[in-house]
Amino acid sequence: MLNKTATTSLILFAFLSNPLAEENAAGESWLTRSGYYRVSYTSLLDPLTINTIHDWVFHIENSDGVTVNGAVVSVSGGMPQHNHGLPTIPRMTRSLGNGDYVLEGMRFHMNGYWELNVTVDVGGRRDTVIINLTI
Amino acid sequence: MTQVKRKTSIAIAAIFLATLAWQQLGPRSPARWTELDLMVLQRLSLDSLPPLPTDPTNAVADDPRAARLGHQFFFDTRLSANGAVSCATCHQPERRFTDGLAKGRGIGLSGRNTRSIVGTAYSPWLYWDGRRDSQWAQALSPVEDPAEHGANRMQFVRFIANDPDYRSQYEVIFGPLPDFSDRTRFPDAAAPIANSEVSAAWLGMTDEDRKSVNRTYANIGKAIAAYERLIMPGPSRFDVYVRALLSGNGKTAQGILTKDEILGLQLFINEARCTECHNGPLLTNNEFHNTGILSFPGELPDRGRIDGIKKVLSDPFNCLGDYSDDPEKRCAELTYVRTGVELIGASRTPSLRNLGGTAPYSHKGQNETIAGLLDLYNRAPLAMIGHNEAEQKLNLSRRELKQLEAFLNALDAPLATSEEWLSAP
Repeated sequence: MLNKTATTSLILFAFLSNPLAEENAAGESWLTRSGYYRVSYTSLLDPLTINTIHDWVFHIENSDGVTVNGAVVSVSGGMPQHNHGLPTIPRMTRSLGNGDYVLEGMRFHMNGYWELNVTVDVGGRRDTVIINLTI
Repeated sequence: MTQVKRKTSIAIAAIFLATLAWQQLGPRSPARWTELDLMVLQRLSLDSLPPLPTDPTNAVADDPRAARLGHQFFFDTRLSANGAVSCATCHQPERRFTDGLAKGRGIGLSGRNTRSIVGTAYSPWLYWDGRRDSQWAQALSPVEDPAEHGANRMQFVRFIANDPDYRSQYEVIFGPLPDFSDRTRFPDAAAPIANSEVSAAWLGMTDEDRKSVNRTYANIGKAIAAYERLIMPGPSRFDVYVRALLSGNGKTAQGILTKDEILGLQLFINEARCTECHNGPLLTNNEFHNTGILSFPGELPDRGRIDGIKKVLSDPFNCLGDYSDDPEKRCAELTYVRTGVELIGASRTPSLRNLGGTAPYSHKGQNETIAGLLDLYNRAPLAMIGHNEAEQKLNLSRRELKQLEAFLNALDAPLATSEEWLSAP
């Protein structure tokens, strides 16, 4: 018989691993590996769905919460469970100021778990973070 | 004691066999659909198909006059070297715009299986290897393929210019045709193709004259694309079933699909993992995957997308080229196209709508039946070239494979295109 904690854990696991729970990036941010930058993003395709090419806006701050300008943001990634990458090579095309950077060419071609490696480079000070999302 | 042991063994064996038989043959009632399942089914339903995307590279994509002209071109056998091959030779409406052959046959034997054109207006890539990036750019390619129409663009545009009916229709849509009558400037046969005589004639023309021929040639492709945009899949029993399920009244869904089809559908969205690639309302992500399809007997494995990328990037008729009508050249798919070793041996995912009557399957027609194809995915062989993305064996039973096949057949449906477009004008 399952005890209460185990049952709660199972329910929590089932909730977190819901394969269709679309990632709501609003308000979420990720600290890069060496702690230099804090990264957040907004998908300009809302709701985020598969098979449509679209743009994302990344917002970069330093660890003190100050917006970072003059950064170069790059993204790669894929589905580790399927051993394949993104179907496109997204690229940063412009900076909007206020720490915001547009990356064009985002597209996902499968529902499921994705990992994105985001690299931020400000004058050679480079740091990365893995952002995971489930579509 | 020995007798007791024997009886026990027989009883255990009998229970084992009975369990096995029950699993394989016994009645299995379809489980109820969860909320999550219903969400998945809704996404696969044709009711979720978004409006037809615009094609900014083709200014006449939605011009009915261009569709009528393209319809005539599509069925016209005069647009070939031997006067016997048209687009409809391989893309036969009665076979859902395929030809029933392993490899297409025009003037000669084509290199790959003929893909359907149904719903291709939604795809950013055309062909198995995605070597063209629009319907109109694709339509130009068979004309000069020696195995298909075997013609050349100079011959093609002159034919249009010399045919009073085609000429007048063309000029209403695209404006005046250039004057191709000067044979010193515009030879009888000229095109950048493998034939050395024809390509030498092409190179002998001025740059301006070549562009003039190319522009006319591209316009012919754009008219054909305006016609092809009308060829759309219709709702199948699966779509009717999903609509009934989502209506909230479970009773209305009864009897639309058989028990085996429903069980097959459950496998399709779960254990069989088909929706990893065959997703969205057209049941394709239009992306490129190596799924370990065996090479055509006697041939080296097909390199697929890894070569297709080079071809589409160097295609003068691509989205970024001079003949694209998009002034802003917003060509996101082409601009951000990916390459990489994982695309070696990868083919574009086909739609699973209308598999019935469109055999054989796979990029060279290697699989004659749906059952054969499912068996391959169930076994997940090593890829002959590159890496099989679907390397995990499905381990489905024979009964489950039959159910999956039953479901796939429930995706067949008449096209959602009026009859007038489905035969020669």
